[in-house]
Amino acid sequence: MRLALYVTCLVDLMRPAVGFAALRLLEGAGCEVVVPPGQTCCGQPAWSAGNRNLARDLAKKAIAELEPFDYVVLPSGSCADHIRNVYPQLLADDPAWAARAAAAAGRSYELSSFLDEVLHLATVPGEFAGSVTYHDSCKGLRGLGIKRQPRALLAKVRGLALAEMQDCEECCGFGGAFAVRFGEVSTAIVDRKCEAIAASGADAVVGGDLGCLLNIEGRLRRRGDTKTQVLHLAEVLAGTEPA
Amino acid sequence: MSAASHSQAMFFQARATAQVRNAGLQKTLKKVRPLFVAKRAKGVAGLVEDGLDVEQLRSACAAIRRRVVDDLDVWLDIFEERAKASGAEVLWARDGDEVARLVVDIAQRHGVTKAVKSKSMLSEEARLNEALGAAGVRPVETDLGEYIVQIAGETPSHIIAPAVHKTIGEVEALFAKAHERPLQARTSADIPAMAGEARAVLRQHFLSAEMGISGANFLIAESGSAALVTNEGNGRMVTTLPKVHVVITGIEKIVPTLEDFATLMRLLPRSATGQGISNYVSLLTGTRGDNESEGPEKTVFILVDNGRAALAGSDFADMLRCIRCGACMNHCPVYFSLGGHAYGWVYPGPMGSVLTPLYTGIENALDLPHASTGCNQCGSVCPVNIPLPALMHRLREIQSERRLRPWGERLALRGWGWLAVRPTLYRWVARQVARYLRWLADDSGRIRVFGLAPGWTEGRDLTPPPSKTFHELYAARKRA
Repeated sequence: MRLALYVTCLVDLMRPAVGFAALRLLEGAGCEVVVPPGQTCCGQPAWSAGNRNLARDLAKKAIAELEPFDYVVLPSGSCADHIRNVYPQLLADDPAWAARAAAAAGRSYELSSFLDEVLHLATVPGEFAGSVTYHDSCKGLRGLGIKRQPRALLAKVRGLALAEMQDCEECCGFGGAFAVRFGEVSTAIVDRKCEAIAASGADAVVGGDLGCLLNIEGRLRRRGDTKTQVLHLAEVLAGTEPA
Repeated sequence: MSAASHSQAMFFQARATAQVRNAGLQKTLKKVRPLFVAKRAKGVAGLVEDGLDVEQLRSACAAIRRRVVDDLDVWLDIFEERAKASGAEVLWARDGDEVARLVVDIAQRHGVTKAVKSKSMLSEEARLNEALGAAGVRPVETDLGEYIVQIAGETPSHIIAPAVHKTIGEVEALFAKAHERPLQARTSADIPAMAGEARAVLRQHFLSAEMGISGANFLIAESGSAALVTNEGNGRMVTTLPKVHVVITGIEKIVPTLEDFATLMRLLPRSATGQGISNYVSLLTGTRGDNESEGPEKTVFILVDNGRAALAGSDFADMLRCIRCGACMNHCPVYFSLGGHAYGWVYPGPMGSVLTPLYTGIENALDLPHASTGCNQCGSVCPVNIPLPALMHRLREIQSERRLRPWGERLALRGWGWLAVRPTLYRWVARQVARYLRWLADDSGRIRVFGLAPGWTEGRDLTPPPSKTFHELYAARKRA
């Protein structure tokens, strides 16, 4: 099968390693993976800000780019939720685009659900000597039902032990522009997440959305925790890149 | 005074910051949050143990409320006819000011000097206590939380737990002053004694008040009754002891039948406090009959619009289904970082972030629809399936359409959007941003001050990116 990897704007800029980890996992599973060169952003920031026209323009751009592929995979629950759940309603009243949006939505998957539900991945290359705790990001969890899949995949990582934190489904306080617009409120929320992570005793916190991870990492470090690793699920599953 | 002019919602940002920095409040909120969440979880688990499907029940409750909202005028006509037939008077109020005028007028006609009240958020919308006081009628709140808030000179910070922001020490200080007694050392073990103290004071008011004012959780169309769901018993006193009973409620509170009411009662107490059923459930119909020993001589319903009718048939009609259980705020990460007073008007939490702009003016509450991470913890627990994040989002769109956002924000979004449809240029800019972020990092390799988004680095570091973007590295790899 031929699939498009949509690396997301945040991964592109802030942590390219996540994109390469996703690439290794998908190629390792025998997929033909293409990173469409024109991709920029799915448009979620515009939509969240309430700018419908801009959100539509960016949705159309992404849909057109992603049409030649059997599947689209995104290492982000929030961007996958945007394509799957927002694109169809955003373009529902546009006769030229409604069907295309619905088709794009049906073909697009968050990484862990694609690996688990479509590829039925039996083994993963990653190894992790220690315990990890998993943060359920809101859009993936409540928008796409991603809960079991990442845990099933983590269970295949050699050496890894899962140590669930209290309230793993609680929001970390990121919320895109929210984190900047209401910085102190966002910090108060992520503080609770950091306390839960610390109480779990895990060596690393793992999640499927880089936005949440940057938020959690930023607060952990500011609180003086330089030890707890903050990793994207793809990084843990794919392991270190062969030299 | 209009709702907009007494709303403080425009100052959300400043109020939120103050509340986040209020250490005492933070301690209280931290203690109560898990209790609310655990209570609802237990309540819902009880339904599952009884073999009921919670999702089916939520759909059923939503359907009952949707049926009412879709034909609100018809159901209101039926209710009015049945309520009048049972001996009650039915009045209509366009807004809060009219509510206050009507209540003051009733009080004056009946020579009322004191009115006991059970909890009513609509009376907060109407600022009824102020109006009554100005007219020489003493309003006495009898719900324990409302009583505390009233003697503190404050407003409720939560719709079902009005004094949730107060510590025992603060309540003790208020009681000592209000009840003119010496201050005592108090712990949580003294709560029953303190409730008993309030009860003794309130008992005198119940017996001497000429008027009782309550809200209604529902209005039952088929019987013309008000349904009241309470835990302290004060609601019964307020609605049966004084000679005049005034029910103030929003026009959307109708349910068609008693059976529909029973269905909603499966979820209302469980969503609010986790109880299978509240301590008291009252159905109040008409006035005291000739051979009845209790009940008011006169019952007046005041059915209030105050912005509700305009929501019917609009993009926000879903919000009219709300049954005011408070589950949305009890599960909201933002609410539990701030408490209710930050929201600036009657309703806090996600419910308030939708209602306040709609009832007091979108331009008067610009921050509220944005004061959400979009986590949808509220929507996922709402007993009537109100898509709260979608409604907040629609309000954001209206702000954007009406150009109500700050120019800097609009400009930044436009610039970013312009770039995002030009991949080549976008890539180039992304590369410059990566380099700029690396340059910002200090000796320890972290960014501690980020001038473009100071809100981020107030409380968090930012780990700078590697020197090359994904697309840069990917292109190089493909060439190799």
